Amino acid sequence: MAKQVTLTIDGKQVTVPEGTLVADAAKMAGIDIPVFCHHPKLEPVGMCRMCLVEIGRPVRDRATGQFVMENGAPKIQFMPKLETACTNKVEEGMVVLTRSQKAVEGQKGTIEFLLTSHPLDCPICDKGGECPLQNLTVAYGPGKSRFLYDEKMHLDKQVPLGELIWLDRERCIQCARCIRFQNEIAGDPVIGFDERGRATQIVSFSDPGFDSVFSGNTTDICPVGALTTSDFRFGARPWELQAHASICTQCPVGCNTTLNTRREAKSGGRIVVKRVMPRQNEDVNEIWICDKGRFAYHYTEGKQRLTRPMIRKDGKLTRASWDAATKLAAENFQKAKKNFVILASGRLSNEDLFNLKSLAEHADGKAYIYSHMGGGELTSLVGVGEGTNFGSMGAGTTIVVVASDLYEEAPVWYLRIKQAAARGANLIVMNARETKLDRYASFTVRYAYGDEVKAVSDLAKKGKIGDTFLKSENAVILYGSDGLGVSGSAALASACAKLLHDNGFTGRPNNGLIGVWGRANDQGAWEMGFEVEEDLAKAFKGKTVYIAGADPVADDPKLAKALEGAEFVAVQDVMTTATTEIADVVLPAQAFTEREGTLTSGERRVQRFYPAVPVTGEAKADFAITSQIARHMGIVLEGTSVSAVFDILAASVKSFEGLTYARLAEVRPQWPIVGRSDLYYGGTTYENTQGMGAQLSAAAGRGEKVSIPKVEKEALVRPKEKELLAVPVTKLYDRGTTILPSELLHERIGEAKVILHPETAKSLGVEEDQKVSVSFNGVNGEAAVKLTDTISVGVALIPRSMGLAIREPVAVKVK
Amino acid sequence: MSLAEKYPKEVKQILAKYPPEHKRSAVMPLLYLAQREEGYITKAAMQDIARMLDISETDVASIVGFYTLYHDKKEGKYRMQVCTDLPCALRGADEFLDNLCANLGIKVGETTPDGVITLEAVMCLAACDKAPVFQTQGPDGIKYHENMTVDKTMELIEALRKSSA
Amino acid sequence: MGVFDPLLELLRGLGTTFKMALDKPVTYQYPEEKRPVRPRFRGRHVLKRYENGLEKCIGCSLCAAACPADAIFVEASENTDEKRFSPGERYASTYEINMLRCIYCGFCEDACPTEAIVLGDNYELSFYDRRSAIYTKEMLLEPVPSVEMTTPRKVEPGVFTRSVPEMKDPQD
Repeated sequence: MAKQVTLTIDGKQVTVPEGTLVADAAKMAGIDIPVFCHHPKLEPVGMCRMCLVEIGRPVRDRATGQFVMENGAPKIQFMPKLETACTNKVEEGMVVLTRSQKAVEGQKGTIEFLLTSHPLDCPICDKGGECPLQNLTVAYGPGKSRFLYDEKMHLDKQVPLGELIWLDRERCIQCARCIRFQNEIAGDPVIGFDERGRATQIVSFSDPGFDSVFSGNTTDICPVGALTTSDFRFGARPWELQAHASICTQCPVGCNTTLNTRREAKSGGRIVVKRVMPRQNEDVNEIWICDKGRFAYHYTEGKQRLTRPMIRKDGKLTRASWDAATKLAAENFQKAKKNFVILASGRLSNEDLFNLKSLAEHADGKAYIYSHMGGGELTSLVGVGEGTNFGSMGAGTTIVVVASDLYEEAPVWYLRIKQAAARGANLIVMNARETKLDRYASFTVRYAYGDEVKAVSDLAKKGKIGDTFLKSENAVILYGSDGLGVSGSAALASACAKLLHDNGFTGRPNNGLIGVWGRANDQGAWEMGFEVEEDLAKAFKGKTVYIAGADPVADDPKLAKALEGAEFVAVQDVMTTATTEIADVVLPAQAFTEREGTLTSGERRVQRFYPAVPVTGEAKADFAITSQIARHMGIVLEGTSVSAVFDILAASVKSFEGLTYARLAEVRPQWPIVGRSDLYYGGTTYENTQGMGAQLSAAAGRGEKVSIPKVEKEALVRPKEKELLAVPVTKLYDRGTTILPSELLHERIGEAKVILHPETAKSLGVEEDQKVSVSFNGVNGEAAVKLTDTISVGVALIPRSMGLAIREPVAVKVK
Repeated sequence: MSLAEKYPKEVKQILAKYPPEHKRSAVMPLLYLAQREEGYITKAAMQDIARMLDISETDVASIVGFYTLYHDKKEGKYRMQVCTDLPCALRGADEFLDNLCANLGIKVGETTPDGVITLEAVMCLAACDKAPVFQTQGPDGIKYHENMTVDKTMELIEALRKSSA
Repeated sequence: MGVFDPLLELLRGLGTTFKMALDKPVTYQYPEEKRPVRPRFRGRHVLKRYENGLEKCIGCSLCAAACPADAIFVEASENTDEKRFSPGERYASTYEINMLRCIYCGFCEDACPTEAIVLGDNYELSFYDRRSAIYTKEMLLEPVPSVEMTTPRKVEPGVFTRSVPEMKDPQD
């Protein structure tokens, strides 16, 4: 533990760790020092001068180094001028006066200066009502200004920094919180100051503008209304919004969010989600979320939502009652016997997946997870367990990221791992191409696509890298699917698990295997015992299929064809998809905004989400639909409440043992203290009052004997002449069903692309942005060429879910 | 063409001045070099310098934005930068600038139609006692012109026009 | 007490009756005849316009926040110079007052930063059903003085950039 220092702030004795800043020390003691530029997550700069306080230090005798005593107490010498509380570190015996007359005058003066050019915009400003400048002006301001109203600077009020973030130059107080966030935390220095003096302004020099997936966070920490999101612009006043705790369902990180809702005339008087805000969970996402989580919620409210159950009659889908629809499904499922197949995706909650898996077990069917990645069963064996937290990783911990571009796949993990590396953790990034995380890596390992398993198996043998890995106290490996299909990633997972297991990096906090999955609750599905099937087309043929939360028809023409040949198809989803179009029975499910449930994040943390808006139409929660179908089949599955299902789940799935639904809602005190009334300190992030979740135990952590299945070597794809090796990669903004309805993101999603090395392009005779035809494995499509020299020659990268159905590495013809 | 290709000798000389771990310090002289030919710094040149020094393009652009002697837009061949700070204003700098504008038929910040002169108002040039004062920034470097009158300035402008014709 | 005393009383009463019969009546023949209201009377709300026809309301929702009866609902949208409703960036795309809820306290007037909402002289508020007690923006907005001043309308770019005008202390 760091050395403790005792000081006095406003007459109150405060003991804090050495190195704490005075402003933070005061906050810990419950004393508010007003700040604008200071943010507890950022390095201090002392730009705004709002936190001026009087600081006195005890006088030391030069000869002895002892405190000079006066009337039995150390003599305190105050500095002649005010000092900033955000840049001064605490010292033993320090005396700080935050409300002395001199300090108050200084603070008043700063506010008066800040307001000399601040526009009278509060009534129309999106920040109005949750604005630090507004709050501090009332609390610490002079009340009257000596400056002339007519001399206010008039600057541009609608400056797009990109299509997601807008800047109002008049409102900006040049605190640089946004710039510092982008530099220090996000690592995307794409915005900066231009000009100087009163003409200083924030400018984005990147193309596209504000090219960072964390851009939305700058609007949270902006202490004025200078930065606003185009999604929420003039959407509502903050005090009119209701707050509901939720979990982001876009990726396996499981960021804690708050859904702000309001009744809206534009939506016909419905209560709708107006914006998604981060909710503090220092173990998961701290106070940040990525732009995908912030802006891609619109699918829950789209016109494409399914509202009623439907049955195919004479080739057409027609409305039906819940009873009729579930009965029809049940009859067919029962008839199918062993030919019953369930395909569920990680978009569903733990309870939904548990009921589906139970149904499959009772009905003698198969339960598959719809995933492009394998190896999940290993994460419940040697996965990370209770106490694992990227925030507590530092020196002595090795983090290995293999075959994953975290910036695109799980942005907040990227951010957290980057921070862990800055705290001294060893970061080993292994990939066949350059990724953004490379910059922060202690070691990077480059391999050729297809050599992933070998690279991992050899890791411990490699001189310096191997030494670092073996000598570290803790080690986690994050493995992904960059350039890998199901069997490739399963083989990779096995190699990673073996490496961890053989070297004792399992069964302890901050040790184990993490999968960078495609969906939010893939981990939950693995825990439940779902399996992944590489050849789904074969698995569907002639079978009775029950699809929940997946759209295989739109993703892959081969699967579409296979489903045509299926005996019976029941589809359960939140919205109309290509798969519901071909279904025999369509069952409308509730979106995550309309119901409660739990999700298991990639770090194996089970977290609760809560209902925020009323249910659309007659939609029901997935677990309830499954239970209703089961009842018609004579199988009893809990379907009344989420908590009841969770209780059964906790009793039957080993890794969930000991968890209760209530325990997931427990909260602990967190630092920094944000999200309360003092918005100026941490921004508009919400305080966590509804649960920080709980982590599952891994088999290795429970002391069970673990054996890692042998690595099955995958046959390498050998491209012939005039062919390239095409590999699938993941893009943050793709054309997935949960992202595409958010029109705001369309520009970032773009079109189908094939990414080539300039030399490859040269030999093919194609240029940047040129449309080429791409054909592989019976898939034909068009894509635009994108060039980058960060990949190897002879390889074509094809992003998943962008129109070209690529599932595993293949040989491709590009023309 | 990149800066290193264009001025290999100068770039090498500039980079040699700073220790490799502090090579970002070379940003100012490199920007000055990049501005030499065109009178302004192109976006490509900023990217080039950012890559050369391992700093972000945003940092380079911010530096260009901060200093009044760096420019990111193509303007007149000569920039006439008149100091209008308080001591100069007391010695008639504002009036001088207004009259000059009237004579040239342009406003502050604008360029004459022939593209020779761009008029700018700047902060302290450290020659208050010799106000009205301005500096010309052009292909031949920076030159001070002290104790100026509008007539004297117009003569100077004529000379500049002739030389650039 | 005399015998005629009651008669006297009767005559005195009749006297008052006759006198009042000749007096100017205080009764108003409502609805033909309407009672004038006091200068500070608080009747049905009116949404005002500037002289150029632009709406004063900027959709800030402060009236709704101030309303003790929760009678006002405001929803805002963004103005453009192509389609301008009010000066500045924001205008009220939905503005509704539930007249059954309203208690005519005038807090909305006080809260309004642009003096857009004013409690007018109209006290004739009666409805056949609850639905028609909700007054929409069209019903509340002052009529435009001339056709070319209707909102939304196309305006010259860069002129109407400020939402909140410079205000003077209210007279009267």
